[in-house]
This record gives sequence, structure tokens and C-alpha cells, in this order.
Amino acid sequence: MAVAQRSGRARYRLLLLILTAATLLTLDFRGFGPLDTAQSRVRDVLEPVVSAVDVVLGPVAEVWTVMFTYNDLRSENERLRDEIDRLASADIRDAAEQDALERLLDATGVTFLEGVERLTATVLRDSVGNFDDDVMSIDVGHRDGVAPGMAVVTSAGFVGRVETADAALSTVTAVSDPSLVIGVRLLDTGDVGLGHGMAGDPTQFVVDAGLRWPETGDLSELPAVGSPVVTAAGSRYPADIPVGRVASVEPSEAGLIQLVTVDLAADVQDLGYVTVLLLASTDEAPVGPDSPFSEPSP
Amino acid sequence: MTASQPVQSVLRSRRLLAGGGAAMIGLRLMIVYLFALLLQLTFFSQVRVAGVAPELPALIAVLAGLFAGPRRGSVIAFCAGLMWDIYLSTPLGLAAASFVVVAYTLGGITDDLFHDTRLQTLLLVFVGTSAMVTVYALLGEVVGQRGLIDDRLPRVVLIASGWNALLSLAAAPAMRWAVASGPARSRTRRREPPASPLKGR
Repeated sequence: MAVAQRSGRARYRLLLLILTAATLLTLDFRGFGPLDTAQSRVRDVLEPVVSAVDVVLGPVAEVWTVMFTYNDLRSENERLRDEIDRLASADIRDAAEQDALERLLDATGVTFLEGVERLTATVLRDSVGNFDDDVMSIDVGHRDGVAPGMAVVTSAGFVGRVETADAALSTVTAVSDPSLVIGVRLLDTGDVGLGHGMAGDPTQFVVDAGLRWPETGDLSELPAVGSPVVTAAGSRYPADIPVGRVASVEPSEAGLIQLVTVDLAADVQDLGYVTVLLLASTDEAPVGPDSPFSEPSP
Repeated sequence: MTASQPVQSVLRSRRLLAGGGAAMIGLRLMIVYLFALLLQLTFFSQVRVAGVAPELPALIAVLAGLFAGPRRGSVIAFCAGLMWDIYLSTPLGLAAASFVVVAYTLGGITDDLFHDTRLQTLLLVFVGTSAMVTVYALLGEVVGQRGLIDDRLPRVVLIASGWNALLSLAAAPAMRWAVASGPARSRTRRREPPASPLKGR
């Protein structure tokens, strides 16, 4: 009898805990403010301890990293030397390309760092879990004017979005995260679409919504490989931040939509510093009747 | 003074002792968990094998299920998951839900089987961590998180579980210490309880 009672109470408790978790999940999805604030406060309270432990254990972790990545570093070094040689011999071509790029920027009005207040930040830590490789912590927070949703860039282009902003620390979701949907414009065709990172490949991005495959079958209407892709006006982020260059264009399975694969302009791995654009983001998803983006086709 | 007064006095002091014991267990659990969390956030954000770190909050949750039983273990696992959720990019409550389900199940299954040998703890931690990481990824996909289930998942599950099994050699004694005075099922707690002071009164 007593055992049955205990078992019943345990099941009741389990149910209560699952319901609590489900409630928290729902509130979090709905962006319930006090919940974010509470999480932020907990992180703020623990941050000095985390930083102190990081300072103490950092050198030990470095030893591990050096031990197990020595070969990688050596091959990376060789690759970089080759790259320097190649770049040195191609500086004239680069100058021409630079000129072309500047003219392209002038023509398309890509001025993503002009007139926007910005803040340089140091990347403190990469992901802490096994499922958030695309998340990093930076050393600026809401004390510095950073707010969730702000765009994070490097000189190469769009890096990601501020996800949470604590007092002196923020987390950034990188553009390579498949969950981060970004409205982009293809400069070659002027079309706008929605894209996201590709799971398992932090160097690429795929635009898979909003770009129709030419009904006439005229492939010249497709964006050229190598043409630039920037953030679109009307997306959550300031317009015309470079995202990358078109790597390939394929039809979707149904043949109605373009699947545009983009080589990301910014290397989002092993970042040391980033720049936060202190411009409040539009907090609505870039899809809807008033949006410049068409609804994704079924 | 009536005859029932000494009995009431003993009961009151037992209640106070029980309350103090619970507070002590809570404090010890917080110390162990905080230590694990700090290690996870700092040391193991860099120290990885094939890009995979251990899941120390999951390790605490599994050990709570094993040592504290399904009732108390599930509550400890829930708190461990909730605290871990604060640092993860996934929605709040996801890790908590995954941990509580697995800790409860593991605690229930091993209720009469657990004999507290090191090898068994190691194996159960491996299985428990695998289950927690898998449930976390599945539940995440169900609630709309992208990129949790892909080719990388089996590797993450295997390596994180291996890490946790290895680290359980150090974490198990700590967790056993933390939940020591509770109704756990370690070998020491299988002994007959001392005679109640009320017995025979």
C-alpha cells in the first residue's frame, strides 16, 4: 500500500515537473520578458565566478588544445604560407578586383558601416554545449548599449545576431546557425529571399525561400555564380551588409524554387573580435503581407 | 506535563533534524552542481574530443536519478537541466524536460537492480547520458530547433557519453556525498535503518 502511494506520488511529481518545463518552454517561445530578465540576472551573478575560473583553468585548457591540435596548426601554417605566396603574386589582380568591388559597392550603395553607431567586442568563449556550435559570447552587454537582435559584423560582412544581452556579456548566434533565418538580396538579379546556415558546414548559407525558378526556363535569369549577396532592406538587420557570394544555384525538388548556396563572406569560426551595429532590430520575422519577401511556397 | 508531550518533543526535533538535513543536502548539491557547471562553461568549452565536450549537467542528473531515486532524483535533474538551459541557446525548459524524464526512468528501472559497483555506475552513466542527449535533440527538433538531429548526433552522443562515463569515476563519489543522508539506494543505505527512538513507546 505504502509502496503504491510512493509510486503514485513520484509519478505525480514527474508530471508536475514536465508540465513546469512545458510552461517554461511556451513562455520562452512567446518571448516572456521576466523570464529573459531572470536568466540574464542569473548569468550576471555567476559571470565573475565563471571569468575567474576561466582565468585559472584557461592555461590548462590551452595545453590540451596545443597537444591535440599541433598537427592541425602545422598544416594550417603551411596552408597560410602558400596563401601568402599566392596573394603576393596576385596583388595586381587583387587591386583590380578591389577597384571593381569599390565600384560595385558605390553602385549598389553597400554602406553597412557608415552612419551606424558601432561597438567593437572581443569574443570571449565559443559554444559551451555540444549543440550550439554557432553561438559565441562577447564581452559587451546592455550596459554598453547592446540589445538582442542587433547585427554583428566583421569587415568581411555579416557574422550573426545578438541573441541575449546581459549586463556585461552577450551571446551571438552566428550566421551559420540553421535556425537563424535572414532576409537577403541577390545583387545580380535584385531578388530577395530568405536563407539560413547549413547544418554541419559553417562556411555556407542557403537561400531556399522566396526565389522562384524561372518559369520560362531562361537560365540567364538566375544569379551568376560569384555574384554578391547582401542583407535585404526589410529584413531584421540593416540593409546591404555583405553576406557572401553565390556558390551554386539549383532548382528545388519540385523545381519551382531556386536553392541558392552562398559562400559566407565572414569566417565565423575562431573569431577574435567582432563589431556590433548598435541599431535596434526589427523584431518581427521578415515574412508577411507587408514584407518585401514573398511567402515560402509549399 | 501530559504523557504525549515527550513524544511530541521527539517528533518536533526529528522534523527539525529532517529539515536541517534537507537544507544540508541542498547546499551540498548546489556546491557539486556549481563546480560541474563552472567546469563545463570554462574548461570544457576548450577541452574537447573530436569537437565534443562532456555533458556535466547531464552527468549530475543521471547520478541524481541513480543515487537519489526517481522521486528526489527527478527534482534534482530538473533543477540541473533548468540551470543548464540558462546557458544554452535552445529554449528554457528543454534540457530540464529531457533530464527529468531520463532521470526518473533510470531511477525507476534501477530501483531494485542497482548494487553500486563502479562498473555498473559507469555503464549506467553511459546509457543515461546517451538517452538524455538523444531525448534533448529529439525534443528540440519537435519544438522547432534546427540542426540538432544530423549526421553529427551519433558522434556527439557516443563521445559525450564516453566522457561522462569516465568522469563519473570522480563525480559519483561527489554526488553520493551530496545526497548522502537522503533515502538513496547505495550499498551503505541498504543496511537496516537504526531503531527508531519512538519504537516501543
